[in-house]
Amino acid sequence: MGLEAQCWKRYDGKHDIIHGMKRLALRGVLAAVLVLAGVAAGDALAQTRLRVFAGGLSHRPELIRKLFDQYHAAAPGVTIEIETGGATSELQRQYLSTVLNAKDASIDVFMIDIVNPAQYFGAGWLEPLNAYVGDPAVAMKPYLPAYAMANVIDGRIAALPAFADAMFMYYRKDLLEKHLLAEPKTWDELAAAARKIQQGEGDPNLQGLSIQGAPIEGAVCTFLLPYWSQGKELHDASGKLTLDKAAAVKGLNVWLALVDQGVIKRNVAEVKTSDTVNEFMAGQVVFAVNWGFAWDVFKKGKDSKVAGKVGVMPLPAVAGGKSATCAGGWQWAVSAFSRNKAEAARLVGFLAGPEASKFLAMEGSLLPTHRGAYADADVIKAVPWLKDAAGVLAGAHGRPVSKDYGQVSDVIRTTTSAVMARAKKPEEAVDEIAERLRRLAR
Amino acid sequence: MRLADRFRDPGDRALAILLLAPAFLLLAAIVVYPIMRLLWNSFFDLRLSGGAGPTFVGVENYVLVLQDRDFWKATAHTALITLVTVPGALLAGLGLAMLANLPFKRRWPVRLALLLPWALPMAFAGLIFAWFFHSEYGVVNDVARRFGGDGQRMWLLQPNWAFAAICLTIIWKTSSFMALILLAGLQTIPNSLYDAAEVDGASKWQQFRRITIPLLMPSIVVALVFRTIAALQTFDIPYTMTRGGPGDATQTLAMLIHKTTIEYLDVGYGSTIAVFMFVLSLFVTSPYLRRIGSSA
Amino acid sequence: MKTWLEGGSLRLLAAAIVVVNGFFPALWILLTSLKSEAELVSKPITYLPRDVVLQNYVEVFTHQPLIRYLINSFVVAAASTLLCLVVAGCAAYAIARLGLRRRQLILTCIVASSMFPPVTLLVPVFETMRSLNLLNTYTALVLPYTVLSLPVCTLVMTSHFQSIPKDLENAAMIDGCTRWGALWRIVVPLAAPGVFTAGVLSFVNAWDEFLLALSLNAVASMRTLPVGIAFYQGEFSFPWPVISAALVVAIVPVAVLIAIFQERVTSGFTHGALRG
Repeated sequence: MGLEAQCWKRYDGKHDIIHGMKRLALRGVLAAVLVLAGVAAGDALAQTRLRVFAGGLSHRPELIRKLFDQYHAAAPGVTIEIETGGATSELQRQYLSTVLNAKDASIDVFMIDIVNPAQYFGAGWLEPLNAYVGDPAVAMKPYLPAYAMANVIDGRIAALPAFADAMFMYYRKDLLEKHLLAEPKTWDELAAAARKIQQGEGDPNLQGLSIQGAPIEGAVCTFLLPYWSQGKELHDASGKLTLDKAAAVKGLNVWLALVDQGVIKRNVAEVKTSDTVNEFMAGQVVFAVNWGFAWDVFKKGKDSKVAGKVGVMPLPAVAGGKSATCAGGWQWAVSAFSRNKAEAARLVGFLAGPEASKFLAMEGSLLPTHRGAYADADVIKAVPWLKDAAGVLAGAHGRPVSKDYGQVSDVIRTTTSAVMARAKKPEEAVDEIAERLRRLAR
Repeated sequence: MRLADRFRDPGDRALAILLLAPAFLLLAAIVVYPIMRLLWNSFFDLRLSGGAGPTFVGVENYVLVLQDRDFWKATAHTALITLVTVPGALLAGLGLAMLANLPFKRRWPVRLALLLPWALPMAFAGLIFAWFFHSEYGVVNDVARRFGGDGQRMWLLQPNWAFAAICLTIIWKTSSFMALILLAGLQTIPNSLYDAAEVDGASKWQQFRRITIPLLMPSIVVALVFRTIAALQTFDIPYTMTRGGPGDATQTLAMLIHKTTIEYLDVGYGSTIAVFMFVLSLFVTSPYLRRIGSSA
Repeated sequence: MKTWLEGGSLRLLAAAIVVVNGFFPALWILLTSLKSEAELVSKPITYLPRDVVLQNYVEVFTHQPLIRYLINSFVVAAASTLLCLVVAGCAAYAIARLGLRRRQLILTCIVASSMFPPVTLLVPVFETMRSLNLLNTYTALVLPYTVLSLPVCTLVMTSHFQSIPKDLENAAMIDGCTRWGALWRIVVPLAAPGVFTAGVLSFVNAWDEFLLALSLNAVASMRTLPVGIAFYQGEFSFPWPVISAALVVAIVPVAVLIAIFQERVTSGFTHGALRG
């Protein structure tokens, strides 16, 4: 038997004590480690990382980054990363469609188009925000009506507005003054004014009116503008999708008549939003229907030949109708698969709040969704045209709120474009739309 | 020792397994799961916009697809594109390959011209050609005007002309694909055969028919198989050029599947259409495949 | 192959057609990249730029990390091509040479995997990559791209292997090579044009691919070229001059590579073996 073993045998009791002490020490160290780990983990937990999905340029990531920095300054435990997944809403939809279909938890907040909340909420991709911001009737009151409508599905808040947009009528103030014409209030007046100017200027390339006829999302607005102007809606009182066929045909014929008169160019079905902007900027258009971003482009664009000559007004009405325009803009939503829903909802609340709205308006000329912002003196000083925009935005209509909006949009924009291309008759197109809406309403 | 021997010279069967395993492993990992899921989904009513989970509907989706007018229209468009662009690309590719094979003093311009259409990603090729065919700003109408034509045609706004423009673009892009395959085939034909035929007094055309075509046949068949499969899946070019317009006059099957799955979020129905597309592809290309497989 | 068109002028005309056909769109893109956007709506359309604008190229690099996108595309395309060639080469040899009973079925199975539109692969592949924690890596794209090109490469190489006379291999094996040795020393070099063709097809398939790249590698540092170039556009703007500049930057390296390699493959290094 070795010395050591003898040693231990002799000091059996000590052996136990040492052994016991060893065990205690081990446990102590373990406990300390656990405590430290717990603290560290707690630290990590307190440090939430939120990932926000915002697309490309149009979302003004540089401004949003500043907003995030403001939020981080006020809440240091939260770091926010921006993720981009597609420069156009179409590519974004493609990306989100794949990612959310796979129930991906990596995105916490995303920015979606005004037409998306109903569809995404229906698919179960958005977390309802009622628990975080309160009752819709109260929470949505500060916002313009179109956004309250678009973001609340079946009494649940699917998203909160980021910034607003609408279709405006831009026009060449100088040309109207030159030919002693007043701002047209109806489409007929506009046609007459346009033709007078076109004849007076003698430029064969001068377009009277530029609208978008390509099968893009904007074509849905092209279809709806004269329809809404007649006082019709695409849904009945209970919210079901309906279509007044006669009014729809009449609306489409408004555009076709303008094409026949030479006010709108023949290949209008090739015209996208950027085409209208570029052509107006080059001085080739008298009246142009376009979104709010165009104002800054016309005024400050480096190749703009029309700086200082542009006016903006509400869209004309159909004879005997009211002026109506299409609401656009973007919304903040919380992903239903996010692992940080509470924190994300708090961020969204801040981003949709009055300060953020004011910031975006003053720094980026983005139209605010808060009603109060339009009366705010600082904002008006920074963005003077807000005064003109306010009236237009107040009356802006939202596009149909439906979980099947994908199909609604598809049928309306493809048939409208086909009508503009003279490949389909308005009656045919309207029948097709009505048929599709009927199938969806079932 | 014996193991090393076997490794150095595995029997045919072991070798077969060794050689085929990587391919099938990759396929299993990437493709088999999606295909199984696809088949599975096609038996369910799975519409994401509904929020409700999938409901089993058996073959109802298949019946609905067969009754769907949009499906048949898209199939007709796809079939037409295939019938036009596959032979078209083959002929153009054959011509290009033979030209590229000629002994020019400086061959690189021709070769580069042959392969340059490749460097341009499909989606952008579609956008560029859409611009060429634009009624106002397009080169096609501009050239027409310079040659005395009226240059007013709105190519992409009229169903038949839009179709023609799309087919032309596809042929432009894919004739290089064909040309490359055929060029590789042309180069395996030894010059000695032509020399011998020349000595025997055969004309250029007879040489072409009796030597070139038969020896090129394997390459032609391969090129055809893939061009056909790709043509049945045509998506990028019509999507970027016309979005399926005007109306749905240029919508292909792949576009319909894309729209149904991504925009309508109707996964069940989209999967069913995809199954039909698979069956169609298999049906159309199996005679060619049999030829290749058996001619060992 | 002998010349089959009489007269140099006809040949030159034919060559001219080929050159115009291939170069015109590339030239158009180059010229557009030197114009300002305003010039694009002028009527009649201009071909040569009125005033050369180099600003587009500056914007191309400052707006997006285009070089990064190029590198990503190259790495992914090259890696998937190499992998595809090896895997497909092995499979093709097995099918062409080993006289397997079910070779018809095997070939059909491989080719059949390409008969499904890529959009159907999106969500399952995304889920697979996510569960393997491979999102936003090169592997996430290399594996699917290999599989996407596997059918083409297998079929091309099978066809080429079949056209190589068996006698050559048998001769080599009589001389002492194993089947494995015969494969690498005789068959592969002779099938070089086929291998090259399959390689180029695979490379371009990977280069072109958009849908999977958009969803799997969305992070800016890992984007591939087609997805990256799509980012120059805005919701309502499609700046052709800048995008053209990006395309020029993207095409030039590929064109240079093609110019280098096309001489290689057509310098007739197959003829040596066949002459014997």
